[in-house]
Amino acid sequence: MSPGSVAAPRLRATGLLSGWGRGVAALPHDAGAAAAGRAVVSAGRPALAGDRFRRVTRECLLGVAAVEEALEEAGFPRALLAGSRTALLYATASAYGASNRAFIEGTGATTLHFPYTAPSAVPAEVAIEFGITGPYVIFLGGAPATLSALWYAATLLASSTCDRALVLAVETFEECADLYARGRWLVGRPLVEGAVCALLEPGAGELSYSEGRCRRPARRAATGIERRLGEAFACTPLVELSVARAAGAAPLDLLLFGVWRGSEAALRWVEMGPWNGKKSSTS
Amino acid sequence: VADADRIAIVTAGVVTPIGQDLDAFWSALVTGASGISRIERFPVDDLRVARAGEIKKLVRERGDEVLTDCRASRLLIAAADELVTHVGGRPLAPDPRRVALVLGTALGGVEEGERALGCDRRPSSLAGALYDSPARTLADWLGAEGPLLTISTACASGATALGVAADLLRNGAADVAVAGGYDVLCRFVMKGFDVLRSLTRDEVRPFDRRRSGLLLGEGAGLVLMERERDAAARGGDRLGHLLGHASASDGSHIAAPDPNGRGLEVSIRGAMRQAGISPEEIEFDSAHGTGTPLNDKIETAVLKRVLGRRAYAVPVNSTKAHTGHTMGAAATLEAIMCLLAWRHGQIPHTLNLEQPDPDCDLDFVSGEPRPCRPRISLSTSLGFGGSNAALILEGA
Repeated sequence: MSPGSVAAPRLRATGLLSGWGRGVAALPHDAGAAAAGRAVVSAGRPALAGDRFRRVTRECLLGVAAVEEALEEAGFPRALLAGSRTALLYATASAYGASNRAFIEGTGATTLHFPYTAPSAVPAEVAIEFGITGPYVIFLGGAPATLSALWYAATLLASSTCDRALVLAVETFEECADLYARGRWLVGRPLVEGAVCALLEPGAGELSYSEGRCRRPARRAATGIERRLGEAFACTPLVELSVARAAGAAPLDLLLFGVWRGSEAALRWVEMGPWNGKKSSTS
Repeated sequence: VADADRIAIVTAGVVTPIGQDLDAFWSALVTGASGISRIERFPVDDLRVARAGEIKKLVRERGDEVLTDCRASRLLIAAADELVTHVGGRPLAPDPRRVALVLGTALGGVEEGERALGCDRRPSSLAGALYDSPARTLADWLGAEGPLLTISTACASGATALGVAADLLRNGAADVAVAGGYDVLCRFVMKGFDVLRSLTRDEVRPFDRRRSGLLLGEGAGLVLMERERDAAARGGDRLGHLLGHASASDGSHIAAPDPNGRGLEVSIRGAMRQAGISPEEIEFDSAHGTGTPLNDKIETAVLKRVLGRRAYAVPVNSTKAHTGHTMGAAATLEAIMCLLAWRHGQIPHTLNLEQPDPDCDLDFVSGEPRPCRPRISLSTSLGFGGSNAALILEGA
């Protein structure tokens, strides 16, 4: 293993909900054209059953729904997530924006609302829903934060600190669309809401990670995923994983890039294992 | 812990309501100083509780050196200024791309968000509202060009950040890490805790039978970390080592801690496992000790479960009555306090603990500092959303 490397986990499944719909198949070929002038493509509010969810914020519901999607794809019993052997790593750049704004402007100042302003509210609701009591870290930022979360999941799995890891990213924009319009030259368009979850298990191979400051972001559209997806901040790397998986990429051989506010991260993910499909690379 | 995995904590820098460098902080802890006062920086007349651990003036900041309006960034820069001073102003590493910055926060730049939604409509204020903004400002100030991570596990953030930084170093993703936590008082958080009725009108009284809630505070704590083998090769002093860490979720409630302390127990056991130590080796516990009825009772019960009979022989303290609950900064400040306790041979007492609660029947240090030199310490933290973290520290 080289510095910054760790045993690559096995990508067991991904669950993807985006403003475009459910799964990879819903992604358009050209997000700009498909948005048809919309600045924000909303993912809506998932209709999850249960009285518990009545007062839960939209971003929390999206997080729970994305985990359920991943479990369904994997055929993984939800009961097995419960307990301390499941790690939960969460990444977001701005999914707390709506609740923070509501609280500041006084529209959500109820006793129950304040705890939902914390970025940790989304993974907290996931942990509550699935009974997860394992390792728990929340990374804030755009795509590099998600790559950090994937790397961290790999370190936890490689050290047997957990048996499986959920890496979850959620982004919502609708409630702050006017604020994004104020800084529209800073972000790509359209802004596409999403919630994506990767279910990881111990694997072989090598995952190498590097992150650092960059003066001039390089390779921003190296994979072309932004063209299909639009701007989805922290969700983007997990959508890219979902696309690779949907393309039958097993074992994975991926190079993921992420750029955010003067930082750039790269993650090389090379799975080793039985040859059970076509080898692929999305970059 | 294998030598190859040992992570050295070389030095630290702090800004707190009771002191704005390590010496002043330590002196205030052992003399029982309180940083709690009426908030002066923003309007509080409409709040039920208007007191907190507010930093009235940043002593390290001269008027012509204010680089940013963002108070969170200013606290961080002040703490970093002390840290850099301790290493004689030398570059933190030969290659700035090998210097990581890992910061924990519960609030990030939310005060900038308050401004941006109010009268200040500059896009820069809006960008400053993002939780990772203060870390970016500090990275620029430090010239750190390696991994830049912002962690937000609520009030456990300052511990989680140290743990993630240690893993970056062990993994070789960086050679040096500046890690820690920060948070500022602002209307957003004061209003939030006020609405929740979590704030006390009395004093903060951790583990006391009369305890009735917490008071907030603000501050920043940073540590300089590197692999022990690198620190040894370079020579010089160290404050201590981070031997083990772990985090865990409660999976129980969005705001309240799990009544059974499941996540806290998992995190303490995980940190001890990573450190390779047994309960008998723990000599001191820096508790989260917020002074809320539930937190203190749960922490006591979990310590008994994890440490067994040893729990009654381990001195425990809380510094929340000195500083207020500094949220994202708290766990880092408490980790630094553990290492200073070893250095100075004293454990600071728990301020305002006068009438022990029968449900909290461990060896809480109260009344006056205790002469004691705890080499191995446990530090525990809890936060909103069921966040828990534990650190095992060793004095050097």
